[in-house]
Amino acid sequence: MLIEVFGPGCAKCETLLKHTKHAVEQLGGDHTVIKISDYPAMAARGVLSTPALAVDGQLKFQGKVASSAEILELLKA
Amino acid sequence: MAADPAVTCACGAPPAPREPFLRRGGWLLPALPLWVLLYAAAPAASKWTAFRLLGLTPGSRLGEAVAFFLYDVPKVLLLLTLIVFIVTFLQTFVSPLKVRDALARRNQGLGNALASLLGIVTPFCSCSAVPLFIGFLRAGVPLGVTFSFLVAAPMVNEVALGMLFAMAGWKVALLYAATGVSIAFTAGLVLGRLRMERHLEGWVQDALKAPALGEGGEERPTLTGRLDQGVQGVRDIVGKVWPFILAGILVGAFIHGFVPESLMAGMLGRNAWYSVPLAVLVGIPLYSNAAGVIPIVEALLGKGAALGSTLAFMMAVIGLSLPETIILRKVMRPPLIAAFVGVVGAGIILVGYLFNAIL
Repeated sequence: MLIEVFGPGCAKCETLLKHTKHAVEQLGGDHTVIKISDYPAMAARGVLSTPALAVDGQLKFQGKVASSAEILELLKA
Repeated sequence: MAADPAVTCACGAPPAPREPFLRRGGWLLPALPLWVLLYAAAPAASKWTAFRLLGLTPGSRLGEAVAFFLYDVPKVLLLLTLIVFIVTFLQTFVSPLKVRDALARRNQGLGNALASLLGIVTPFCSCSAVPLFIGFLRAGVPLGVTFSFLVAAPMVNEVALGMLFAMAGWKVALLYAATGVSIAFTAGLVLGRLRMERHLEGWVQDALKAPALGEGGEERPTLTGRLDQGVQGVRDIVGKVWPFILAGILVGAFIHGFVPESLMAGMLGRNAWYSVPLAVLVGIPLYSNAAGVIPIVEALLGKGAALGSTLAFMMAVIGLSLPETIILRKVMRPPLIAAFVGVVGAGIILVGYLFNAIL
């Protein structure tokens, strides 16, 4: 899976990135986590409030710091 | 028309397994009385600590300053915790996506009014300002209406509003909300008329022409989820702003104990013509979290500073901040930024004079 974390680099976005990496580690397997902090890219993807998370190109939530457990749940689904 | 029960119940997702009572908000039952107890004990405890434990003289400058500090720290932190919890809980019902859809293709006037009011309640973090700005414009929210939102969202801060209500009374709180909304409404209307679209950065203009791609579906949180977000909000916000609050209370305590009333009445009094612009000029570069300003406002008002000048100071500190301006510079060219700061600053000054004159 390709997991993208959107955020310009504020504390909340870093926290979400950390939680996401943690969730991916627990999930195991071969997945890529990337951080997107470029505004034009965010705008193109329809991100309205940060931090946001997308899995395989699909935006899952935005404006929220989800916990590792929530993200793990989301990745398993 | 008889409602089909199956239709009226379309509200519900499939019933989730019941969570234990304590998780579903039962913990509030012991937590709220504990909060009340602590809050009620704060005045006596602070006096006891300052005058008995530390042996300071009641009525002395140092004594009064220390007592103010010791009283305000628990009081403000307790109020902040409760207010942030309530506000974050309520905010789970509003989201930028919903607000955007409510504002899309609204005309000037009604759209500006709606945007200014929604700006108070929408969860908004200044690092989200740029994606939100573009998202609004792309969904067809007019530039002026978007500005009304962008002015109201930081200026009428929902936590500051709650704190002001608790510490300075409902009149000051209502005045703050009403003036903030009026400034946001007018600033958006004026900026909308100025036809500033050409002063957006080039990449923004390109982004606006591109079709929108997939959007995130919004989940509907459960009550437990909403309460959990409230707790999370308290952890995030109180955990982050307590240094600002301590600093604000220190300044407030200093004003309370050491600044003579005559000086305050002279500098920030209603008769000094320069007091309002001075308050705004001092306020803009000062960056504080909204909650950190309230103890300063409390002390200023207590020392006889005029309400108009004090509100102007407070709005300049939280509504026009340097960091946010720098963030917005990424999407706006200098003429638009200048118009933005100019219109909002002028609005604050006008309101300051108005209140000094009529109250």
